[in-house]
Amino acid sequence: MSQIRRIVLDVLKPHEPTNVEVASAIGDIRDVDGVNLSLYEVDQQTENVKITVEGTDVNFDLVLQTIENLGGVVHSVDEIIAGKKIVEEEETLHDRG
Amino acid sequence: MSFNIEEGRYIILGSIDGLLATLGIIIGVSVVSASDAIVVSAALGGAIALALTNGVGSYLAESTIEHGKLAITEKSLLRKLTNTYVESQSRRKIAQDALSSGAASFIGSLIPLAPWIFSVGSVAASVALSLISLVALGIYAGYISRQSYAISVVKMVALGTLIVIAVQLLRISHLVQ
Repeated sequence: MSQIRRIVLDVLKPHEPTNVEVASAIGDIRDVDGVNLSLYEVDQQTENVKITVEGTDVNFDLVLQTIENLGGVVHSVDEIIAGKKIVEEEETLHDRG
Repeated sequence: MSFNIEEGRYIILGSIDGLLATLGIIIGVSVVSASDAIVVSAALGGAIALALTNGVGSYLAESTIEHGKLAITEKSLLRKLTNTYVESQSRRKIAQDALSSGAASFIGSLIPLAPWIFSVGSVAASVALSLISLVALGIYAGYISRQSYAISVVKMVALGTLIVIAVQLLRISHLVQ
């Protein structure tokens, strides 16, 4: 099976643990080279974040487990890149329209 | 390890409780007995009871609040937080607060009791040590609250003194009878 190089997740999480702790915990996972966590919505109890995880062979289940252990809920998997190299999404006529 | 500002709550509560309640016992018992042993016995018994009740009380209170907060968060997330890092941090906070409250209470109790333990006991010595401790607590409260140290100390000492006066009045009324 191909190695997962990048995943982008839409996550709902409580305020505690902090985004710093969550990003750090995901970054500590083996074969994860980098994490980008950006906050895009906040309410009284929770916050919505977009988490981008990149690595040589990202363990998707372990990333999910880590997020859930920290109290988060994965709403959707918005992007997955797998294979030998990272392939960015190409804009088509349909997207430009 | 970073200082957790929340820990200050139970340290201040427990310390004042232990300090002034034990001082009250010492003042009260010294009216009816001049024996150091009796004063120490009564005050130590009170100190232990206070420490245990403060610890247990804090445990029950924090347990209730933390579980309530978790329930609210679970409702927002539409999932259970059982066996997660979030729940374990909650349990850790409950235990820490209970321990802080009980330990602070016991340590606070030992301060007015100290002269009696070392056989140089007098109500004046206990009151003096207690007031010095209140000054120290006031400084600590000022540090945590980032407000004027002077005002925190004055508040702490003034309220503590009111309690000591109230207990002394009870002592005097007993003598008058």
